[in-house]
Amino acid sequence: MKRRTLLGLGSTLLAAGAIGGWAIGRRGDQPVLFSARDDADGRHYAVGYRLDGSRLFATPVGERCHDVYVHPHLPLVMFVGRRPSRESYLLDSRDGTLLQVLETAADRHFYGHGVFHASGDWFYATENDTAAAGRGVLGVYRVEERRLQRVGEHPTHGIGPHQLLWMPDGETLVVANGGIRTEADSREKMNLDAMEPSLVLLRRDGTLISKEQLPEQMNSVRHLAVAADGTVVAGQQYEGDPLDRAPLVAIKRPGQAFQAFPLGEQQRQAMNQYTASLAIHDELRLLAVTAPRGNSVFFWDLDSAELRQQAHLPDCAGVAAVADGFVVSSGQGRCRLFDCRGPGIVAQPLDLPAGLWDNHLRVV
Amino acid sequence: MAPRSALRSLTGALLGSLLLTACTPADPLAGTSKALTDRVLLPAYANWAEQNRQLASSASAYCAGEQPLEQARQAFVQAQTAWAALQPLLIGPLGEGNTAWQVQFWPDKKNLVARQVNRLLDDKPQLGRADLDQASVVVQGLSAYEYVLFDPQLDMAERATQARYCPLLVAIGEHQQQLSARILEQWQAKDGMAAQLQAFPSSRYAEPREAIAELLRVQVNGLDGLKKKLGAPLGRQTKGHPQPFQAEGWRSATTLASLDAATASAERLWQGGERDGLRALLGDDQRALAERIDQGYAGLRQGIAALERPFAELLADQAGRAQLAALYKQLDDLHRLHQGELARALGVQIGFNAHDGD
Repeated sequence: MKRRTLLGLGSTLLAAGAIGGWAIGRRGDQPVLFSARDDADGRHYAVGYRLDGSRLFATPVGERCHDVYVHPHLPLVMFVGRRPSRESYLLDSRDGTLLQVLETAADRHFYGHGVFHASGDWFYATENDTAAAGRGVLGVYRVEERRLQRVGEHPTHGIGPHQLLWMPDGETLVVANGGIRTEADSREKMNLDAMEPSLVLLRRDGTLISKEQLPEQMNSVRHLAVAADGTVVAGQQYEGDPLDRAPLVAIKRPGQAFQAFPLGEQQRQAMNQYTASLAIHDELRLLAVTAPRGNSVFFWDLDSAELRQQAHLPDCAGVAAVADGFVVSSGQGRCRLFDCRGPGIVAQPLDLPAGLWDNHLRVV
Repeated sequence: MAPRSALRSLTGALLGSLLLTACTPADPLAGTSKALTDRVLLPAYANWAEQNRQLASSASAYCAGEQPLEQARQAFVQAQTAWAALQPLLIGPLGEGNTAWQVQFWPDKKNLVARQVNRLLDDKPQLGRADLDQASVVVQGLSAYEYVLFDPQLDMAERATQARYCPLLVAIGEHQQQLSARILEQWQAKDGMAAQLQAFPSSRYAEPREAIAELLRVQVNGLDGLKKKLGAPLGRQTKGHPQPFQAEGWRSATTLASLDAATASAERLWQGGERDGLRALLGDDQRALAERIDQGYAGLRQGIAALERPFAELLADQAGRAQLAALYKQLDDLHRLHQGELARALGVQIGFNAHDGD
């Protein structure tokens, strides 16, 4: 057995007694994973599990959900409907009680993403103005009495917005405008020959701060991660030729332009023109990206852009940073904890139900 | 990172879970994964490598004037058939990192193969291996090889034509030989792909169920790919207008032979080398499903065997297209049975995020 293997074994055994730094057995202290998930019959659920595998809830929902957002101080969790859903679901994060089925305004549908403001008083969601199909809208919702009330909207200054996140100031939003026009009740892409993807920074009152584009017109900017220092990383899905050399990960470091993140060509090819979820570990300064078409999760050093590991995980889906590294889910196999503290990244399967996990997850 | 070192660097990553999920050798899922590896996957990859070794030596012999064209064409057909047989078995290194593009460029909707071959040879009349390795994947594989040996516009009996295209044939033969040998080595190496599927937990698979899920997923993807390969020339993406030049292997008339080889291979994954494939995992209560899948394979293969005309001829008239459409329907039924009922019966998920587009 090679030395490296022994080292890997040692750290794995260490990890077997604890998950993410929290000892097994102290159930109440376990972090909770929230995600959309299906059952084998294709029914949709909003679920919450502790990382030791104990289930908090699995609440049936009418529409398939996409990303999940936990309220900053109230026991509320928002499951946002997947494009072109017109429903999102506000749940009690302790037991999964469905508190509200939030419906979009007329001529609007959700894109699967949103964010709570740090005050806890506001929720913002990316939406499609289907009356001017594809026009990106930031829906503004007021949080009152454990309910959300739509109070207005702003343009996202782009077409087909997807994920949005807060910059470290908590007042500025970064929005991935995917650039793809779709119509009401449809997922059909209408403008592949005239896509307009962009990365936009805007204040939460809708004021545009900046709008940047990558050189490749068919490279849809879709998912984001933001580091504590304001570094923004975007994951792309390329709609052009499968053999084109499109940058599938891009970065905007503080004060710098939005530009390609230097992937190795082999890693880029392994992604099959498609990235899914991104997460940044601030203490370890690591970037994780799932590439379900490539059945691979990638970990890079955020500052040097050095590849730390490419791990095989079929149909990998959501990723979130936890104390020791990252938790990654899969539509096919078991979820993994990737312990990134040591020199080598060590994977450990989690005792969560295997497969059927949807695109994104949050661990709180 | 090279795929091989990537596999190696993962070694041990999941060893710790041995403590959490001990699995006995008697675990039927583990037994099936091992049996399929030993009796279906490894032999198919070894055969592919062997056919490519023969392809490389055929290219050299033909271009040295030591082998007739007919024999060179036969070597291509063997390599193409061996590749077709891998379609439902694209688990591991050949299924990852766009590697398969180097073997075959399909679909070729814009006749890129012919155009890029000729542009390359215009630029590099003395083409060598290094030139080919630097070139687009469009010209590195069997599709370009087939173009040279079978295209109706090229007469390889002419000395000048042979002199122009032979350096490419030889270079592709070598490229395919090396590629297939490297992939086989990645399968056979210590801690290689075969080892990942033979004992659990491995660095890829936390438990045997994950391996079975991935085997079923590549089989389902393979069947889906066959639907595309049959559906594209039938015009399923072009409002019913037949597209004869989008058929896999239209130049060499290997379309149906490739379909048959791939179907046979998917059936081996189902039946196993010694009745120890995915089918063996179904209990008595699932006998009806097993028999439907048995019949699905038998019907499809009989349907292919019963076609008495070449694919291009069938595509050219109404009666022939109806026969091909019936074949497509059989393939579609078989694909759905695997994706739905078989996955459920085996208790595995084959994932959906890869097809999601969100």
